[in-house]
Amino acid sequence: MTPAVTFQHVSRHFGSVRAVDGVDLTIAEGSFFAMLGPSGSGKTTCLRLISGFEKPTGGTIHIFGDDVSNTPPHLRNVNTVFQDYALFPHMNVRDNVAYGLMVKGVGRAARYGKADEMLALVKLDTYGDRKPSQLSGGQRQRVALARALVNEPRVLLLDEPLGALDLKLREAMQDELKTLQQRLGITFVFVTHDQGEALSMADNLAVFNEGKIAQIGTPEEVYAKPRTRFVADFVGSSNVLPPDITRSLGGPTAWSSLRPESLHLTAPGGALLSGPVTSLRYLGAGNRITIAAPGGAEIAAVIPAGQPVPETGQTIGLTFVPAALHVRGSA
Amino acid sequence: MTAIPAVLPERGLADRLTGLFWRRPNVLLALAIAPPLIWLGVVYVGSLAALLLQSFYSIDEFSGVVVPEFTLKTYAELFRPQNFDIIWRTLLMSALVTLASAIIAFPIAYFAARYAKGRWKAVFYLGVMLPLWSSYLVKVYAWKLILAKEGIVTWVAEKLGAGFVIDAILAIPAIGGNSLSTSYIGTFIVFVYVWLPFMILPMQASLERVPTSMLEASADLGATRSQTFRTVILPLALPGVIAGSIFTFSLTMGDYIIPQIVGTSARFIGLAVYQQQGTAGNLPLAAAFAVVPIVIMLVYLALAKRAGAFDAL
Amino acid sequence: MPSDNRAPLSLKIGAGLGLAFLHLPIVLIFLYAFTTEQRSYQFPPPGLTTKWFAVAWNRADIWPPMILSLQVAAISTALALVLGTLVSAAMARTKFFGREQISLLIILPIALPGVITGMSLRSAFALMDIPFSTLTIILGHATFCIVIVYNNAVARMRRLSGGIMEASADLGANAFQSFRYILLPNLGSALLAGGMLAFALSFDEVIVTTFTAGQQSTLPIWMLQELVRPRQRPVTNVVAIVVFMATIIPILFAYYVTRGGSDTAGGGK
Repeated sequence: MTPAVTFQHVSRHFGSVRAVDGVDLTIAEGSFFAMLGPSGSGKTTCLRLISGFEKPTGGTIHIFGDDVSNTPPHLRNVNTVFQDYALFPHMNVRDNVAYGLMVKGVGRAARYGKADEMLALVKLDTYGDRKPSQLSGGQRQRVALARALVNEPRVLLLDEPLGALDLKLREAMQDELKTLQQRLGITFVFVTHDQGEALSMADNLAVFNEGKIAQIGTPEEVYAKPRTRFVADFVGSSNVLPPDITRSLGGPTAWSSLRPESLHLTAPGGALLSGPVTSLRYLGAGNRITIAAPGGAEIAAVIPAGQPVPETGQTIGLTFVPAALHVRGSA
Repeated sequence: MTAIPAVLPERGLADRLTGLFWRRPNVLLALAIAPPLIWLGVVYVGSLAALLLQSFYSIDEFSGVVVPEFTLKTYAELFRPQNFDIIWRTLLMSALVTLASAIIAFPIAYFAARYAKGRWKAVFYLGVMLPLWSSYLVKVYAWKLILAKEGIVTWVAEKLGAGFVIDAILAIPAIGGNSLSTSYIGTFIVFVYVWLPFMILPMQASLERVPTSMLEASADLGATRSQTFRTVILPLALPGVIAGSIFTFSLTMGDYIIPQIVGTSARFIGLAVYQQQGTAGNLPLAAAFAVVPIVIMLVYLALAKRAGAFDAL
Repeated sequence: MPSDNRAPLSLKIGAGLGLAFLHLPIVLIFLYAFTTEQRSYQFPPPGLTTKWFAVAWNRADIWPPMILSLQVAAISTALALVLGTLVSAAMARTKFFGREQISLLIILPIALPGVITGMSLRSAFALMDIPFSTLTIILGHATFCIVIVYNNAVARMRRLSGGIMEASADLGANAFQSFRYILLPNLGSALLAGGMLAFALSFDEVIVTTFTAGQQSTLPIWMLQELVRPRQRPVTNVVAIVVFMATIIPILFAYYVTRGGSDTAGGGK
């Protein structure tokens, strides 16, 4: 099967800034692919390279096997849900959604019919006559989604689409997007800086750092076996342990990582890790504590709600099952 | 639903051109900028060049025909006493008008920037904008009516029993005259009136950028109201004043209608340009006169730029 | 310490007097259009009459300048709209070499006194033996109207969410469709306001026009001649009212269509 999108050593340099630097990437058809990374890591530029708003300064991009080096954005059958939605302020919701069909010359009745169908899909059937300014953030997001889907794109690009929504709405939309993607079978490429979002929604994800892909794989692989210290730290804020500490915990002399939620409270005597509590943060679903372990390492652990919480300064012990310690070759 | 290919075919010329604009963004930029640039470059810059060229020509004193040969003779004529007087008179008037505009504009700009809210803000905005945009000639005409010997100012003064005040002002040598509408004072008043909005708007813009918290901080640190005014507000308003002064100074310097309608028969640069190119038929001298404000404004702009006045424009 | 949010009385009086100073003179123009005295500016008018409106209407020398002014203003505005929109589109988004110089070039025709623009055009016409005509008047007017349109359009373009043009292309629109369906409708009121202001400015212009009109008279030039050598003074006032209205109505209209935005029309002339 032809992959939906492939990057062959793609770069996008702005002067001396290497926004995207030699990226190789394959996105399978029908998959939900997430691009995860901090701001400025190159993930959004990669998305814009697919839509055509940026041109690579090196390398080749194929969409369903076609080299798109010479294809302007309006001839690429990929559509984008923009971060700020970019709805047309002078058109009502129905005209916004029908726009893609109108510019392709679809007749009025046909395009409005299709637009209403799309609005029903995102549960906004009764909102067709409103102006974008009369909608809430969540509703605008749905309109942007319907507007992009009306063209039956081969790839749907989503640029931090949930960033402007509040927490509750964001979680609801995550579920909805995932369901929608499975139902339509369209390839989704989803850019986010929120690792929780990427892990929960994606079939595959690429972690970006400084214009390069730090790791690519399934959420389980990336979470459990971070290949670099950056991935370990960025995805799930792992404890990153230097070689001497790894060895003191029974591992080889190598860098390793340890998830905060894989650590459990125990008595200080005889524990693998022990030290005074240096900070304490209430998370709602639990507490995050940090201890100063011997050797100068700060170790974070998450204690589920309901368990007794130690006080700051109190010396405690932490323990874990040996399999939780992920040993990497490099820093 | 995957019948649609990932890359759509071009449908015609519009698509091909769009592709060209996408591949070469500079083509689109050049297409957009070329017509206005050619217009401004040819019509305006070309004319300025013609002006400069003309000012280096001279006129044959016997035949009155322009001699198209390079000479500095025409510029030398500017330094004749009667021409040099015109330049000095114009500069002095421009400076005084600028100063008076700044003083009168300040309360309006300060009030509009700091105290006017909601509806009053709109009233002030329109209150300044309408006189700015409304007909120049009508405004000048209105003052001819006001300052006429038999006009409203004289009438009011006499009703108040203050007619002697006007007589006393008109009796002042040099700036007085037969009536207000034929004196330097009259010219000055009309200049200030007509160019005042050009001072208010940039001044208000720069005052609006002074955050209230800064004034509170000043008061908090123990400054009295007048200390805050002198040490915080005035320095921060200065770029606006300079920006406004660019307009008032430049516009006064180039005007030739107002001194023609209200004032003595003494000439200003603008009037000299107008008369030299018209009745006198001396285009080179008119051009040389017109170069004077350009040079002065270039110096002025360079100084203003250094003072950071362009941010307030 | 709470800040004092009420204006001092002296400031209120100063601001009020300043605004009154700006507006009251115009009232007299209206008053004198009704006076029975036609040889002087006597105040108060000895009597009031409305006959001057009829007299002005029947004066044959007023109509040709009126028509010429309308023609010049309309054509100059149309030219300025095209040129001003193009240059604002180029200047609003992209950064390119020489951008600063171009913005200076656009502003120059109104930054320098009108007499310089006028005299420059006059010199160019003389050097190239171009005879004065309606076209020479338009050449000058369109030049200083460009900046008015530019100021209005560029502010709007900067405010427009840059994403909508990309969104349009993303949805399959070519450059011409994006211009027609997205850019133009969103620019509409700014262009309308800019066009209105340019029209008002052109209709009223006298300084540049005297240098480029030759023997032709626009309405302001006709008025200027009447001011220098008055004939029936109240008739001049009637024409002044017409000119005043022809400038003030477009301005109010421009303000009305752009009010409430960050790019309200008329901020700079």
